[in-house]
Amino acid sequence: MDRNYHVFSDGRLERNNDTVRLVTEDGEKKYLPVENAEALFVHGQVDYNTRLMSFLDDHGVAMHVFGWGDYYSGSIMPKRGQTSGQTLVEQVRAYDDPERRLGLARKFVAGSIHNMRTNVKYYDNRGHDFASIVETLEDCRGNLDEADDVDEAMGVEATARRAYYSIFDAILPEGFVFGGRQYNPPNNEVNSLISFGNSLVYANVVSAIRATALDPAVSYLHEPGERRYSLALDIAELFKPLLTDRLIFRLVNRGQLSTDEFETELNSCLLTESGRKTFSKAFEETLEETVEHPNLKRKVSYQYLLRLEAYKLKKHLLTGENYEPFERWW
Amino acid sequence: MMMQYYEVCERELWFLSRNIEIDRENPAVVRGTHVDDETYEEKRRNFSIDGTISLDVLDDGQVLEVKPSSSLVEPAKLQLLYYLWYLDRVVGVEKSGVLAHPTERKRESVELTDENAARVEDAIRGVHEIVTRESPPPAEEKPFCESCAYYDFCWSC
Ligand code: SF4
Repeated sequence: MDRNYHVFSDGRLERNNDTVRLVTEDGEKKYLPVENAEALFVHGQVDYNTRLMSFLDDHGVAMHVFGWGDYYSGSIMPKRGQTSGQTLVEQVRAYDDPERRLGLARKFVAGSIHNMRTNVKYYDNRGHDFASIVETLEDCRGNLDEADDVDEAMGVEATARRAYYSIFDAILPEGFVFGGRQYNPPNNEVNSLISFGNSLVYANVVSAIRATALDPAVSYLHEPGERRYSLALDIAELFKPLLTDRLIFRLVNRGQLSTDEFETELNSCLLTESGRKTFSKAFEETLEETVEHPNLKRKVSYQYLLRLEAYKLKKHLLTGENYEPFERWW
Repeated sequence: MMMQYYEVCERELWFLSRNIEIDRENPAVVRGTHVDDETYEEKRRNFSIDGTISLDVLDDGQVLEVKPSSSLVEPAKLQLLYYLWYLDRVVGVEKSGVLAHPTERKRESVELTDENAARVEDAIRGVHEIVTRESPPPAEEKPFCESCAYYDFCWSC
C-alpha cells in the first residue's frame, strides 16, 4: 500500500536525483523514497522550490501541510491527468437535486452514528455503563430518517456527536479532561488530540479522493467549498471514530502519551513535536491494520477503506446504484 | 472491443461505454485484463477503418485476431466475426479471418457464414441495448472478476 511520510524537522525539502531529500537546519540529510508514496505530511517549517513540486507532481504525491491551531493548513495536490468532466457533472447533478443530496447527507450521518455507537458499545462492554448513550445514539439514528433537509441532518449529527463525546471523560485517565469539543485552537490536551487525529484522517481522505477523479470540493453533507475540500469532510466523518478516537484512548490509557507532550500557550494547547511524532507513528500503524473485506474477499488496510469509500460514492454517482456508507462490520 | 466485452461481462461493457476511469494504480490494472497482443510476432499491418475500427491484416489478406487465453476464445472469436461482418456489410470486401494464440502454434480459421453473421447482428443489438441502459447490469461473480480492472470499483459495494 502507498505510504505516507511525515516530516517533523525544520529545513529544506528538495529534489535529489530520483528522490526527495530533507536537509535539516543543522545540515543533516535524510532521504524520502517517494516511489510508492501516497503523500508527504509536513509538520515542520520547510522551504521548497518548484523543482520539488514538479517532481512530486510527476510521481502523483500530494503534500499535506500541518501548521498551528487546528493543525491542518493545506494541501498541494498533484495535477494527475485524470480529471473526468463526466464525473464532475454527475457529482453536481446529485448535489443540485435536493432529494438526492439529502439522501447522501443522511447516509454520511447514519454511517458516522453507527461508527460512534460501535466505540460506545466497545467501552460499555469494558467496565463502563454507557447504555443511555447507546440509546441516545439510536434515537438520533431514528430521528435522522425524519430530517427534512441537510441542516436538520447536520443537527442530528451534532447531537449524536455531543452525546458520543460525553463518554470521553469517563474513558480517559486522570490528567486528561475533555469537557466538550473546542477547536481553533484546541483548549486542552484531549481537544488537541482530536484535532490532530481528525486532520490526519481528513488529509488521508483528500488523498483517497484524488485517486478517483471525484472533485473534492463538491459535497453533500457539508456545504461545498464551505471550507477546505468539503467532500473530504463528508467522508472523514465516517472514519473519525475508527481512526482517531480509538487511537487516542489507546495511546493515553497506555501511557504512551502523557500531558508532558503538550504545550499550553494563551488559550491553546498543542502537541509538542515529540507528541506529534508519537501520534503520527501510531496513526500510520493504524492505517496499515487490515480487515477481511466481505465482498472483495481479501484483506484490506484501513487506509484502503478510505479509497474504497471514494469508489463507492463514485459508483453511486455514475451508475445510480445504492451508496451504503462505511459502517464498521467487525 | 465492445464485442469482446459483450461476451466477457456486460457490466464491464457498460462501464467502458461510459468511459468510467478506474484508478491507474489499482493492482488489478497493473496485472492487466487482456494480454498485450503486441507479443505476437507475425508480419501484419494495422488498418483503421472509418476511424472506429482497428484491425490487423496478415500478408495473405486474412484478418488476424489474437486470443489472449483459452478462457477468452469466444470473445475473441466474436470480435473477429464482427470485423469480418463490418468489412463485408459496411465496407463491401469479403475476407476470412484467423484466430491465433501467441504461445500455441494452433490457428483456427473463421468464416462469416450466415449463421455467424446472424450471431454478430444479435450481438450488435445486445451491445446497443446494454450501453443505452440508465444503469449497468448488476454485478455477478465471474471467473475473470479478479483480474478485471473494475474489480474493486465493482465489488466495494
Ligand atoms: S469485476 Fe466482474 S462483474 Fe465487475 S465489471 Fe469486472 S468482470 Fe464484470
